[in-house]
Amino acid sequence: MPTSSTHSSAGLRIQSILSKPGSGIVVMLVLFVIVMAVVSPAFVTFGNWQNIANQGVFVLLLALGMTVVLIARGIDLSVGSVMGLSAGVSAYLITQGLIFPLALLAGIACGIFCGLLNALMITKLGLPDFVATLAMLGVARGVLFLWTAGTPFTRYMTPAYSLVGGQTQIAGFVSIPIIISIAACIALSLLLRRSVLGRYLYAVGGNPDAARLSGIPVNRIKTYAYLISGGCAGLAGVILAGRATNVAPTMGTGYEILAITAAIIGGAALTGGQGRMIGAVLGALTITLITNAMNIAGISSEWQQLVTGVILLIAVLLDRLTTYFKHRQRSTEIAAAVSVDPTAKPVQHVMS
Amino acid sequence: METDPAEKASLVSSRRRFLGTGALVGTVGLLSACTTPPGGATSNGGGGASGGGAEGSDDYTAAIKKLVAGRELQVGFTPPVLSEYYTQMENAAFTRMAQLEDLYGVKWKWEKSSPTGNFNAVEQQISTVQSWTSREFDIVFICTGANFATMQGVYKKAMDSGTKIFQFNQPVELYPIDDVNTVSNIGYDNRWQSGYVAGKFIADTLKGQGKIIQIMGPAGSDWTKARLVGFNQAMSENPGLEVVGSADGGYLRDKGLSAAQDLLTRNADVNAIYGENEDMALGASQAVDAAGLKQWDGNQGVVIIGADGLLSGMDAIRNGKLTASVDVNSVDNAIKMIDTAFQSIVLKNYVPKVSNITTHLVTKDNVDAYASYINGVMSPAKKY
Repeated sequence: MPTSSTHSSAGLRIQSILSKPGSGIVVMLVLFVIVMAVVSPAFVTFGNWQNIANQGVFVLLLALGMTVVLIARGIDLSVGSVMGLSAGVSAYLITQGLIFPLALLAGIACGIFCGLLNALMITKLGLPDFVATLAMLGVARGVLFLWTAGTPFTRYMTPAYSLVGGQTQIAGFVSIPIIISIAACIALSLLLRRSVLGRYLYAVGGNPDAARLSGIPVNRIKTYAYLISGGCAGLAGVILAGRATNVAPTMGTGYEILAITAAIIGGAALTGGQGRMIGAVLGALTITLITNAMNIAGISSEWQQLVTGVILLIAVLLDRLTTYFKHRQRSTEIAAAVSVDPTAKPVQHVMS
Repeated sequence: METDPAEKASLVSSRRRFLGTGALVGTVGLLSACTTPPGGATSNGGGGASGGGAEGSDDYTAAIKKLVAGRELQVGFTPPVLSEYYTQMENAAFTRMAQLEDLYGVKWKWEKSSPTGNFNAVEQQISTVQSWTSREFDIVFICTGANFATMQGVYKKAMDSGTKIFQFNQPVELYPIDDVNTVSNIGYDNRWQSGYVAGKFIADTLKGQGKIIQIMGPAGSDWTKARLVGFNQAMSENPGLEVVGSADGGYLRDKGLSAAQDLLTRNADVNAIYGENEDMALGASQAVDAAGLKQWDGNQGVVIIGADGLLSGMDAIRNGKLTASVDVNSVDNAIKMIDTAFQSIVLKNYVPKVSNITTHLVTKDNVDAYASYINGVMSPAKKY
């Protein structure tokens, strides 16, 4: 029979596991996968996970950029439209005979340029982030509508673009979009954790006034955040054009909401100063996994919206539970430290 | 239900002549529909050249010109989304407007506005109609994803203010026609002229046996509801066919691709895919290729059918990337729309509350004919 001390140590272990950032979502995802494996064995096949990865890269790339912006206490509502416009730039330039790599770079540059315009509206004109990026949402979408005149760009696909769009797998199991997403995730993760810019982003988002008083160039840091977000949107658009094989004027519509949702599920906060790249990965995975699973499980599209909402709510609640356990863990550590050495100072909070 | 492809090609050819020889014959056709009482019967079939009497005569043209008296019509055109289908429609409308202007001297001022979001972004369309009403537009052509009841209130206010509402490509067959507050509704019956046609094509091609997956529009879409009625009817007539999966493709190619990939994961032995529109069907076509499955070659493989009648879809049919598509006839939809408004507003005729145009089943055998028909209006003599 277990003793109270075993109960207590098991409880502490669970508490310790659940206090890790993102662990709540991981637990939910694991449970979700187990349930789905029972409902439909097809869900756990390698081919399906390839599908999930290939479908999820667009939300992921946007969520990576969105997380950086949210950390800096901003929000970028324009990412879906910028993604569509960037796709249009690459597709159009290929049809005009520009060499393929330059056309792709031009698409990404278009995203970065839109990010720069967002930043200038916010830092130079003093517009709220929400308003400036909402305006860019309309401008980018409008430009694409006018440019395409309602008719999608087609006839730009080449074998190389099929590869970039993930239609052709490398060595039969991995696609270029997946490799690009992993690379982007690692690069941005290193930037946030190891660079001065990363520390400044958290500082600006956590308390802009304190950051300014500390000599941090707040406007410049926010500009970098929007450049990164625009670049991610441009990259996602260029890849999406290769996957969709046409660029419709509506391309990317609604992706901004998915990107924000993924970032928030992953632990970023609208109040700034919080967020991690691994969180964005988990958020994007959650969103893609739910849609994929419901299609496989044969849940009708009427029910899908309801089920998606409920699962996302559970994911966010689990993440909040993680925060609760984190605080409890700290309290326990403080209490333990005090009981050993009554003169000990409280444990320092570390940047998440 | 479907006629012989050769017969259809002949029909197309005669329609091209109808366009090519100017508006006169068409106008006689439209004038022939004038005796239907308002709010009355449903008309099936295009305007056609069924009129008699003075058709083609100079006297007739002069008489109509006198009635028109150089009138200018302010027109608003608001599709639910800017897309290839509505671009085809707009070009066909311009072609017809230029013909009527040339023949009868009617002048047109054209404004277009579409929601910049998706099919569900309807608030912008309501505002557009209200704005055009307050600016005293003569005509509003609208197709919307908005709630039916909401729009009837907006339409009633517009009509009471003198702005006449004409719906196009709208599944009015789902609602009691007396509840529709428009002058006329130009389109086709989504149940029997689209969904049923797709289902029957699959049944005929697979000889009544096989597994099907569906990639449908957004949940709650009237087009989806209506087309499913017809598709399900075709399924019930062929009990050897089984729908093994259905998913929302959001009327978009990349979403259609993802949805088809998901469904193919569980149903790799599928025999046919029904994409409710062409973009989703083309996404499904990519998913079939990516899954290493064979597309239908006339004897075996996966049958893929969509619906719309886009030039890009017809390219795909030519290239073997789409087995077939139900062309819901963007060109005739637009021509009938312009003719009906001209009849009603300028000539004060009584037009049918519902005017259904013909739709076509496009396959590799007849794709050139239908593509040529659309290409014939893509460079209108005048743009408005």
